[in-house]
Amino acid sequence: MRNVCIIAGGQSQWGVRNATQRDMFQEAGKACFDDNPAVTNKDIDGLIVGSAYTERCSFQTHLAPLVAEYLGIKPKNICARVELLCATGSSGIILAYAMIKSGEADVVMVVGGEKLYTPQKWEIGYSELASVDHDWDGAMGLGLPPSVFAAVAIQHMKLYGTTEEQMALVSVKNRRNGMNNVKGQFREEITLATAMEARAIVRPLKLYDCCPVTDGAAAVILAVEEKARYMTDKPLVYIRGTGQATLHNMSANFSNWTTWESLQIAAQQAYRKARIKPQDIDVAQTHDCFTISEIIEYEELGFCQKGEGGFFIQEGHSDFGGRVPVNTDGGLLSCGHPFAATGIRQATEIMRQLRGDAARQVEGARIGLTHNLSGFIAAHTVVIYGRDLE
Amino acid sequence: MNSVLEGKYAVTMDMYPLQSKDFNRIYPFYDNLKQGRLTTTRCLRCAKVAFPPRVVCPDCLSDTLEWVDLPTRGKVLVVTEEEVGVPLGFETPLIHALIDLDGSLTLFARVINCKMGDLQEGDQVKLVIFSVDPLPVEGKKGAVILQERVFFAFEKAYPQE
Repeated sequence: MRNVCIIAGGQSQWGVRNATQRDMFQEAGKACFDDNPAVTNKDIDGLIVGSAYTERCSFQTHLAPLVAEYLGIKPKNICARVELLCATGSSGIILAYAMIKSGEADVVMVVGGEKLYTPQKWEIGYSELASVDHDWDGAMGLGLPPSVFAAVAIQHMKLYGTTEEQMALVSVKNRRNGMNNVKGQFREEITLATAMEARAIVRPLKLYDCCPVTDGAAAVILAVEEKARYMTDKPLVYIRGTGQATLHNMSANFSNWTTWESLQIAAQQAYRKARIKPQDIDVAQTHDCFTISEIIEYEELGFCQKGEGGFFIQEGHSDFGGRVPVNTDGGLLSCGHPFAATGIRQATEIMRQLRGDAARQVEGARIGLTHNLSGFIAAHTVVIYGRDLE
Repeated sequence: MNSVLEGKYAVTMDMYPLQSKDFNRIYPFYDNLKQGRLTTTRCLRCAKVAFPPRVVCPDCLSDTLEWVDLPTRGKVLVVTEEEVGVPLGFETPLIHALIDLDGSLTLFARVINCKMGDLQEGDQVKLVIFSVDPLPVEGKKGAVILQERVFFAFEKAYPQE
């Protein structure tokens, strides 16, 4: 099997954009090529495009050939779209990695993005009813459901004593980290008091406990090691291991929402393939769609014991200078969350941290992790990156 | 509006499922629901009761299934009250509960006829059925036939009920 490197990454401006989906795919592609001038659109032999709401919000299928044409890429290999809602981006990266590792492709671009804001605001909230099991959970009014994560939080607070203040601290940290990210949706610090006093969305989740709706796109390029050596003058960053697991697509038959078994399985797979332990991770980007999510992710990724996620944030272990800085570029809470772009944004930040050229650097980072969640806590995707192969 | 869609029904924008025999093989669920029954499919080979109902057993993959009744009362394990940003078609507060249906199934379901703060953990809830928008179906010679549809939620139940 061949070794696979991530050799470039970039994103469009994220936020409420005066731009179409295809505008932002072009911006992300350009940002990615600009990150590494040694690789051009003529070098790409495969293209994987991610978008969850392309039909719903942009009335567009057959998206990958469209993006290829706009970016001047002429794929002689895979040119297809992938979709796993909020974990679309990481899924595209895993597929590109598998193709390169197995010898089916040499240089693959993975680009993902969403145009979610339509001229009338009701459309996005309504389209969300397609994101869960439409005929059952959708008809119950569950879209991209803050209610589900509120229930998760209520159960976690009851079982483990996690507090609203601990959840708010996740938001305060990620907003502070996001101030370094010039392309993120928010670049404003918030205080603990602001987070605690914000209006309720669905208690105990308040405004700053929830990630926003975001337009945006992001892109990375993966290459086989032999070619990567000629395609970048920056330190090589390898993909060391991947894992994905899926359980419980819908709300029925699932009574304890605080244990994310599919994340445990995905994380164990990725750690085993990378031949590392959770304590070896120097920096991580995890899926902070809601503050409670990041707290449970510390636990299931093995950064702390089950039930101690609240203390982990409170004691600063996930901040710069702590045991494992998490969401160093601001995460979903600050950068925003254009579904298919999020996993790619996470990969770009980890690549930069391991190359040593991040906007705010974790000194000496050599092993990094990304975690993408999708659906009703259903599917979890973990990718481990490293400067070294062993 | 100058839309070519003016007055047209688009199934891609319908928040409720297609329920009749014309469009859905699990139509008995909705027929039973109209009679106040919450039902699902049970496998005749391995006895697995699956919810939601389906046409193939998710355990043994048999396609020989029968309809069975589920309890219509349950106990509330968790309550959530969504105050902001509920989808079009739903009113604020949009209340959901994680419900234990007599040990046979848990569901995260909508609770209606309920004000903020009314529903608590440990309360009993019972099934409630309501009409939703009928489905306009093209008949012969341009006729449009409206198919009646229903859906379900839960509401607070009291011990004397």
